[in-house]
Amino acid sequence: MAVICLFYKEKLKTKLVSLGAPGEGRWKRRAILSGNGITMASIGKRRLNHPEERRKDVMWILRLNMTERTYRLEEVPEAYRYLGGRAMTSTLVGDEVPPLCHPLGPNNKLVFAPGWVTGTPASTSSRISVGGKSPLTGGIKESNAGTSWGPYLANLQIKALVVEGQPKEKDKYWMVYLTWDGDTRKPKAEFYTADEFAGKDLYDVFPKVYERFGTGVAVAGCGVAGEYGYANAGIVFNDLGRRPSRYSGRGGLGSVLGSKRLKFIVINPKGAPPVAIADRALFDQGKKKLDEAIRSHDVTKPKGGLNTYGTAVLINIMNEAGGLPTRNFSSGRFEGAAKIAGESIFEGNKARLGKEVYNHACSPGCIIQCSNTWFKADGKEHTSCVEYESDWALGANCGIDNLDHVAELVRLCNAYGLDTIETGTTLAVAMEAGVASFGDGQKAIELLHEMGKGTALGRILGGGTEFTGRAFGIPRVPTVKGQSMPAYEPRAVKGIGITYATTPMGADHTAGYTIAPEILSIGGKADPLSPEGKAALSRAFQATTAFIDSTGHCLFIAFPILDIASGFEGMVEECNGVLGTKWTGEDVVRIGMEILRKERAFNEGAGLGKAHDRLPEFMKYEPLPPHNQVFDVPDSALDSVFEGQ
Amino acid sequence: MGQEEEVTEITVDVWLYGALATYGGEANRGSFANLQMSLPEGSTLATLLDALKLRTEERSITFINGKLSAMPGLQPDLDHVLRNGDRVAFFDPKSMWPFQYRQGAAMTEEMARAMVSEKGFGLRHTFS
Repeated sequence: MAVICLFYKEKLKTKLVSLGAPGEGRWKRRAILSGNGITMASIGKRRLNHPEERRKDVMWILRLNMTERTYRLEEVPEAYRYLGGRAMTSTLVGDEVPPLCHPLGPNNKLVFAPGWVTGTPASTSSRISVGGKSPLTGGIKESNAGTSWGPYLANLQIKALVVEGQPKEKDKYWMVYLTWDGDTRKPKAEFYTADEFAGKDLYDVFPKVYERFGTGVAVAGCGVAGEYGYANAGIVFNDLGRRPSRYSGRGGLGSVLGSKRLKFIVINPKGAPPVAIADRALFDQGKKKLDEAIRSHDVTKPKGGLNTYGTAVLINIMNEAGGLPTRNFSSGRFEGAAKIAGESIFEGNKARLGKEVYNHACSPGCIIQCSNTWFKADGKEHTSCVEYESDWALGANCGIDNLDHVAELVRLCNAYGLDTIETGTTLAVAMEAGVASFGDGQKAIELLHEMGKGTALGRILGGGTEFTGRAFGIPRVPTVKGQSMPAYEPRAVKGIGITYATTPMGADHTAGYTIAPEILSIGGKADPLSPEGKAALSRAFQATTAFIDSTGHCLFIAFPILDIASGFEGMVEECNGVLGTKWTGEDVVRIGMEILRKERAFNEGAGLGKAHDRLPEFMKYEPLPPHNQVFDVPDSALDSVFEGQ
Repeated sequence: MGQEEEVTEITVDVWLYGALATYGGEANRGSFANLQMSLPEGSTLATLLDALKLRTEERSITFINGKLSAMPGLQPDLDHVLRNGDRVAFFDPKSMWPFQYRQGAAMTEEMARAMVSEKGFGLRHTFS
């Protein structure tokens, strides 16, 4: 591990030599990041300090020691300076977490890192990455979310927040309040007891947290699922309506937070300086290009696909393609798909409210705005938001075609702090075992309450899909590295099967996005239709996605930057503008590959090797209707994704 | 030779999603429409579009029997001859299907050929 770490740092240093000094004396704007607003605008101007002073303003690692309930501020080491988001979390986890430690023990660490451009006026960039050793996969995990908490952390000039240690008392919970100390020009942390918030529904608790600290704060935390130590517990963040609805859902990181008895981390950014931008003109140029691409692309433009139908627009598409996993991955087509699809959510709301409802932003500065809301028959809000993956996992994969039931299941996942994907796939395995019938929404809701109450059955389900499969003796368990597959059937869409199998994260639909047509050349001369060609493409997708996960941008900028070349340029220019770097498109792949190497090295140390880069066996011998295909990509092609890289 | 049954009409299972549901007439359920269309034997996809009074520019992603046959700006399926019992699905321009979620999915022969000849090997979301 150490050797790889040093190699990584050295490569970064080499790059830095050629970067040149960041510009001086440029004007900068402050982003407005109110808890209710969604815009970033200029509210004043001031001269930047000398670059050396400014550098001190922007680079802190804040360590929360949960054994002693103390904190420490460290200036970011030189080698970490140009890390952000996933690049930061995976590097820190790789450098500091013993790969063989127990995920819920004192030696695991939880790392939060805003992306490079998070907290700047860059649009659709309020992502926060969370990393640690996963209780679900036993490997490294990075899971990111869109929330005001990300830019607020960046405003406190914190490049990484590391939660470490563990209290000896197991029956007490704590919370941390982060603010900006204007006198010392440093972030400050205060510890408070949080016992009164433990064991409760997050929809009841969030308003009390806001009541205590004011509406201008942002909140991260865990629900009862994290307190119980469930392997499918997520980390909850607030959305712009102060709902507990934005999640770093995958991999059980909510339980890592719970294991450290840290219930909430509350941030008040009042008085904090803006995020420094090294080259404002370049940043503005990049932002203009990227904004234009986002606003003009059919998928991401106002009242376009995502803004109208949300991510659930994919339900009908995947169903028609025969790739919508149904009833625990036993079919690729669900007869009730059209009733729960994004189009149905849009029209259903219109019928219930008498007007069209377009979607909203999950976080400050998002101009795509894909988060939907489902309303009850009486016009009151039921839940936000019903994402494609949640809709599918708790709907089609459980054979449930009632949107009100799906919405209630989503709401309960938010209330208890559960990952909707892992929860839906777990319920489906339990249904196959006869715990409930496929399609029985009421029984599924009861099972969610069992999880919330922490009953014996609830704790089995909380262990995740693979754990539940073992408990009930079910061989059809759709997992890779212990993490359940999302809503794209690899027997129908074989390309994504390669990514599911080989990503360091366990089966993950966000691990390999198509970012730029130039990545075709990465595969060399391999025919993109051949297994080797598909493997090369998966490697390129995974590398470029790791880069975007480090920018702080939402992955959905991938749609416009793939189709509109200036959009891709804009993204790179924004990063260069903030960091003072001179990265090109080639660096996007290089940096992404460095992140993947780091993650794979951690997994290797944790005992995850080639044998874990495989899809579950049943997909090789059970043909999937309606196309009746098995997953027939040879193991050699899966191994070739990262062989020699 | 035995007497062959003469088929003069075919029935096609048509799904219209999103804004296209309005072309489903009485089958319009708001967010989608599902109707059985009777067409003369030998009808093509273009014939079906005519029967629906749906201009080809108004549809985007299209499937024939679960096989991708058209994408926004790329419609090599107009001459595709339909058969009795085929399932055809039309999506409105607000739909999307990113490459990473369709790489290796079933396509009609015409679409597979069109994709291979596309610049960028069909990675894009929109074509023109």
